[in-house]
Amino acid sequence: MCWAVPAKVVSIDSDVIATVDLGQNTLKKVAIGVDNLKVGDYVMVHAGVIIAKLSKEEVMENVKFIEEQIREVAEMIGEDPNEAIKDFEKSVYSILSDEK
Amino acid sequence: MDLPKEIELLFRENLPLAKKIAKEIERLTPLVLRKTGLEKIKIMNFCGSHEWTTTHYGIRAVLPPEIELIPGPGCPVCVTPSSDIENLINLAMEGYRIYVFGDGFKLPTVNHYKTGQISSLSHARALGADVRIVYSFADAIEDVKKDGKKSIFFGMGFETTAPSYAVLFATQKIPKNLMFYSSIKLTAPAAEYAVQVHKEKKRVPVSGVIGPGHVSTIIGAMSWDFFPEKYGIPAVVSGFEPIDVLTGVMIILKNLYTGNITFTDLEYIRVAKREGNLFAKAKINDVFDVVDAIWRGIGTIPKSGLDLNDKFKEYNARLLVNEKPWDYDLPPGCRCNEVTLGLAYPTDCPLFMKACTPARPWGPCMVSMEGACAVWARFGSSERVLSIVKEVR
Ligand code: SF4
Repeated sequence: MCWAVPAKVVSIDSDVIATVDLGQNTLKKVAIGVDNLKVGDYVMVHAGVIIAKLSKEEVMENVKFIEEQIREVAEMIGEDPNEAIKDFEKSVYSILSDEK
Repeated sequence: MDLPKEIELLFRENLPLAKKIAKEIERLTPLVLRKTGLEKIKIMNFCGSHEWTTTHYGIRAVLPPEIELIPGPGCPVCVTPSSDIENLINLAMEGYRIYVFGDGFKLPTVNHYKTGQISSLSHARALGADVRIVYSFADAIEDVKKDGKKSIFFGMGFETTAPSYAVLFATQKIPKNLMFYSSIKLTAPAAEYAVQVHKEKKRVPVSGVIGPGHVSTIIGAMSWDFFPEKYGIPAVVSGFEPIDVLTGVMIILKNLYTGNITFTDLEYIRVAKREGNLFAKAKINDVFDVVDAIWRGIGTIPKSGLDLNDKFKEYNARLLVNEKPWDYDLPPGCRCNEVTLGLAYPTDCPLFMKACTPARPWGPCMVSMEGACAVWARFGSSERVLSIVKEVR
């Protein structure tokens, strides 16, 4: 029951209910559990309530955080921190790039 | 490409990154063991979804043998006491319509092995009671408006489901014929309890905690700061993709190595915040009171549940029943209490995949997709995973 799925807000039906697309046009009416929700927002839906918004900036921040952790660990075990992130850096940023 | 797809590629299917983190974990582990003097690094997760990811993606198989990932009490279905189901069965037989999530529908009571007893809400329906499965509280509200029948919603879940109830109650638009039976549990008190049990039973202590990502989305990652502050145990709130869990393990090792254990690390930055979802928290505070709650197989844990407050008394279906003190509530032979406290693996239960299967669950941990036994039944029995499972001590 802690499963949450990403969805896109299709319409805001009242101050408490919105319709979201869970993917492939599966529409669902859910309760609004966040502030300032807008049509088009990506959100996380859990048991019929929107518990958070998703944004590309935050995904980017998440990746950067992981990168930072790897750098710190690499330093601890005596690796070159810059070398450590090289082998996956490209794959990560090509996924996040908008030029596709 | 849309954002969910990008997230999938980045955190689920990103093999170079997964390999990198696994390699760093492998190299860091002996250093941590030497520094801490531990023989084993026991990391507990508190969320059924983390157990799902760990088992489904075979994460145990890519970690060094000294790292042990154990499931904790993080499945709300598994810990819903038998007395709650029995109370709802009685109300259903008295003529109330019961709305329930699919998992709660199948949940067996402690009586389910006795003849002549109604063993679950699904059994009650087979006997003619009006029990309806819904996806959410919002769906139950829509359905109940179609007629005037007196009905009850079985409100299970952790802090993640609480907002879906609270937001709708706060609008005061709940139909008068729909009551609410709260079985909501709070995760942090149970997490602390589980860690203490390992200490009291003189087991290998829990060396790190992977906190529940979605619960923390509501209550905030800082809700787990008591682990670093009070117990000196590193805690990380992780997301639910394999990279998230691996990163969580790596951060715990890093903290054990540096000894710099001051607050909960937040890996799941893309969804959760340190302070949580303030909007949802405010609504929960408006509608619910924190109360002592019964955890199935475990007993009462103080201040570990939510019940409707006095403002919403007229909706409170708990006031229709006589609450009894907790009595041992697992069916004979079931070891769910040990499984939910991380004291046993599902495969330690002699009934696992014999008398107890996902199609015919004997105990509660086999019911929900997030129960440790059900997860292991589906994905955990491959030779590769079993061979690396160590004895939990
Ligand atoms: S296998 Fe079944 S009976 Fe055994 S602990 Fe798990 S749920 Fe309980």
